[in-house]
Amino acid sequence: MNTYCYADIETGQKESFSVRVTEETMDSFKAITGDINPLHNDSDHARNRGYEDRVVYGMLTASYLSTLAGVYLPGEKSLIQSVEIRFSKPVYIGDILDIEGEVTEKNDTFKVIILKVSIKNQQGKKVLKGSMQIGVAE
Amino acid sequence: MIFRDVFDDDTLVITDSTNAEDIEDWDSLEHINLIMAMEKEFGLKFNLQEIGELANVGEMADLIGRKLAAK
Repeated sequence: MNTYCYADIETGQKESFSVRVTEETMDSFKAITGDINPLHNDSDHARNRGYEDRVVYGMLTASYLSTLAGVYLPGEKSLIQSVEIRFSKPVYIGDILDIEGEVTEKNDTFKVIILKVSIKNQQGKKVLKGSMQIGVAE
Repeated sequence: MIFRDVFDDDTLVITDSTNAEDIEDWDSLEHINLIMAMEKEFGLKFNLQEIGELANVGEMADLIGRKLAAK
């Protein structure tokens, strides 16, 4: 885990990591949230709606932003204040996601950073984009 | 406009005496967002002491005016 203090962080700084979405990941998310929507749980239903297969929960994909802020940038001293995101493309089980954040702003008064965030799949296609406002402890 | 954008409420009416007690969503996080929006809009920087001394929107406007005049 990174432990960047506010002073350590520079505008333009980037951190990234990768994960693979598995059946087990989906099962865990369903157990936590109770989201039994067939788009995420029934391959035939998903294909009938025009998708390749069961679609990974959007909020599961987005949950890796928690890891980005809480483990990588800034890491331990992170306090997520707000998140704005858009889901650009569907994610499927087996996809490898690359999660990246770049510091675009710093506010010295409140010790807040703004991260431009994006998640890309193994084909380099953006599946999620947005920004996070994060407080950084001293 | 800044208040309407930050609080996402086009019906918001602000006066000099408006403060956090008058707007339900005006919590500590929105206060940060409001000050940051003011800094961007006017090209100013505030310090925590200046922010802590503000009692209402009127005093905020006065502070912005003084800082703009001093630029």
